[in-house]
Amino acid sequence: MKEGKIVFSVLAVNHPGVLLRVAGLFARRGFNIDSIVACRTENPAYSRLTLVVTGDEAVFLQVIRQLLKLEDIVKVMALEQDQCSSSELVLVKVRAERDSRGAVLKAAQTYGARVLDIGDATVTIEMTGQTDEMDRFVEHMESFGIREMARTGVTALERGDRTIHDEE
Amino acid sequence: MIKNGSDILMECLLEQGVDTVFGYPGGAVLNLYDALYKYQDRITHVLTAHEQGASHAADGYARATGKVGVCIATSGPGATNLVTGLATAYMDSIPVVAITGNVSVPLLGRDSFQEVDITGITMPITKHNFIVKDVRELAHTVREAFRIAGSGRPGPVLIDLPKDVTAAECEYEPQPAAGVRPVPPPKEERLQMAAEKLNHSRKPLIYFGGGVLTSGAEAELLALAEKQDIPVCASMMGLGGFPPRHRLWLGMVGMHGTLAANRAARECDVLLVCGARFSDRVAGSRTGFAPNAQVIHIDIDHAEFDKNVTAAVRVAGDLKTVLAALLERTMPADHRQWTEELASLRREPHPADRGEKALPDPLAILQTLRRLTDDDTIVATDVGQHQMWTAQHFELRQPRTFLSSGGLGTMGYGLGAAIGAQFGCPHRRVVLISGDGSFHMNLNELTTLASYNLPIVVLVMNNQVLGMVRQWQKVFYGNRFSATDPHRKTDLVKLAEAFGCTGMRLDRAADVETVLKAALEHGGPVVVDCRISPDANVLPMIPPGGTVEDIIEEMDN
Repeated sequence: MKEGKIVFSVLAVNHPGVLLRVAGLFARRGFNIDSIVACRTENPAYSRLTLVVTGDEAVFLQVIRQLLKLEDIVKVMALEQDQCSSSELVLVKVRAERDSRGAVLKAAQTYGARVLDIGDATVTIEMTGQTDEMDRFVEHMESFGIREMARTGVTALERGDRTIHDEE
Repeated sequence: MIKNGSDILMECLLEQGVDTVFGYPGGAVLNLYDALYKYQDRITHVLTAHEQGASHAADGYARATGKVGVCIATSGPGATNLVTGLATAYMDSIPVVAITGNVSVPLLGRDSFQEVDITGITMPITKHNFIVKDVRELAHTVREAFRIAGSGRPGPVLIDLPKDVTAAECEYEPQPAAGVRPVPPPKEERLQMAAEKLNHSRKPLIYFGGGVLTSGAEAELLALAEKQDIPVCASMMGLGGFPPRHRLWLGMVGMHGTLAANRAARECDVLLVCGARFSDRVAGSRTGFAPNAQVIHIDIDHAEFDKNVTAAVRVAGDLKTVLAALLERTMPADHRQWTEELASLRREPHPADRGEKALPDPLAILQTLRRLTDDDTIVATDVGQHQMWTAQHFELRQPRTFLSSGGLGTMGYGLGAAIGAQFGCPHRRVVLISGDGSFHMNLNELTTLASYNLPIVVLVMNNQVLGMVRQWQKVFYGNRFSATDPHRKTDLVKLAEAFGCTGMRLDRAADVETVLKAALEHGGPVVVDCRISPDANVLPMIPPGGTVEDIIEEMDN
């Protein structure tokens, strides 16, 4: 079977330790997580986890079935990347001395990124977008020299009118 | 009415029909034990020597009775001592509710005395766990814990109770027992697919596991096997679920299973899997186990489908319901040629030891024990050679009469489990078959046998070595007996007497019947030191990762 990536959108009861339970499950079953994001939802009783997982179809099926065995998990949706609107966020602190600062700011502008802070020798830039855009942006920034970086991982919602609440 | 947390816990246990708990007191559970004192006419607390013994007792109680077993331990080391027992129950899908004390809420997270994050520790070995930080959530949590432990595929659930929660008060409203979550009925289309495959099969085989016993589906299994003329084998967890003298019975399948069962798996064209999970001790090679078979997998746990072996048809549901439905949808069949071919592979059991004849042979001990005991005798085991000999040669004729750690393989499981079973079934005979290696791990529980004067007969297959590991060293490590010959000097007879039990020795082949009779007729706790040869082997044996083609049927001592 072919290896690929899938986004799992998971609705969980908002109990302490849910993230730990999910992360522990992935660790002990040997599933590969590319990223995991947990946050509150429109309903305070639930939290939502978005996981990007690398594997084949057999792995994805196991992920769904194992997740659903956890008491705190309410729903699991597996989304192909073209089925969802997804976004992540990165903050980069890029080397920007006087001579290179103009080029850095121009590059940021080209990507539609936002400059959050300008220091003596660095510029901190925020960029949101899809994973491949982000990768290109980060690669470009590397040419100036990245001093520090923080990246969130993917969050995603299904395209169209359907929501996770419509999931069986 | 207003009650404190400890009384609320007692009331909730009573709601669930709990009348026996196994445990050990300590600082963090003092309030709880004060309530147990108050409720002693309605809840029997069994004090074990060690919390591990309590956890195995709760497990053994659950396996023997089908009810949820309950154990209690204090915070810190009390709680961590439950871990092996909970992992054992988790691997074998046994419903247990474990209650641990913890330090008071304001002391949590400060590395307080006897504080441990037991919910964190037990997360991967429980079905679910809770820490209750507000007494108002206690009753609901206890009810949820029992519901989770017993629903679907059962398993252990842990409730951690900080000490101040056991003292805090709130309103308590009695409620009827939680009951288990209903299981959705099997999908008709899947049943049709399964029935069709069975109806067209020429060489069908049933392989079942502990799920049959959990579901209570033995009668439906037998009826389907007979109607469709399907030979039957089981994992160790399934033993007792099918009549062992039946013409369709092939015996245990897997590493120490019979030639007939393993050959049947190799050659069958349809494999009907009932409440079993293709463990590596059954399907050593996941691709070589049943290479020609279309697998029909019935399980209550969806996550078992395609986990180890890919199924052609997956039927999710309760086994009893699914098998009854399949019985209606299948045609009577005659697979005489196939069943006769397999019958020709049946082998008479032979003694485990080919050399020394003066010492009693494990086979003779087990066969004699079978002859001298009723069919409803409960047999607990530890883990190792004695366990496999028991699985192979002690004909288990009724469900829930075999208590053995299958998935985790916990040496030291048996004595605690036997205690639990004896409290759960006070009028039935309970025998523990152990080995000297396993027995040394938790023999402290002999003190519990003596304190409660439990008429448990303990047979220690004493070969003076760690036999199973030693056997592997013989087969795979060129007889380099590393750390398997401990030269222990323990006198098991004197040991038993020191604990206040009766000790007996069986060291001559000629005395098997006399000594076993004396032990069974004794009426109190007895330990029999059965001196067997260190060279007795468990055969047949399929090497790990291998198939029936690699089966070892003969071995030099």
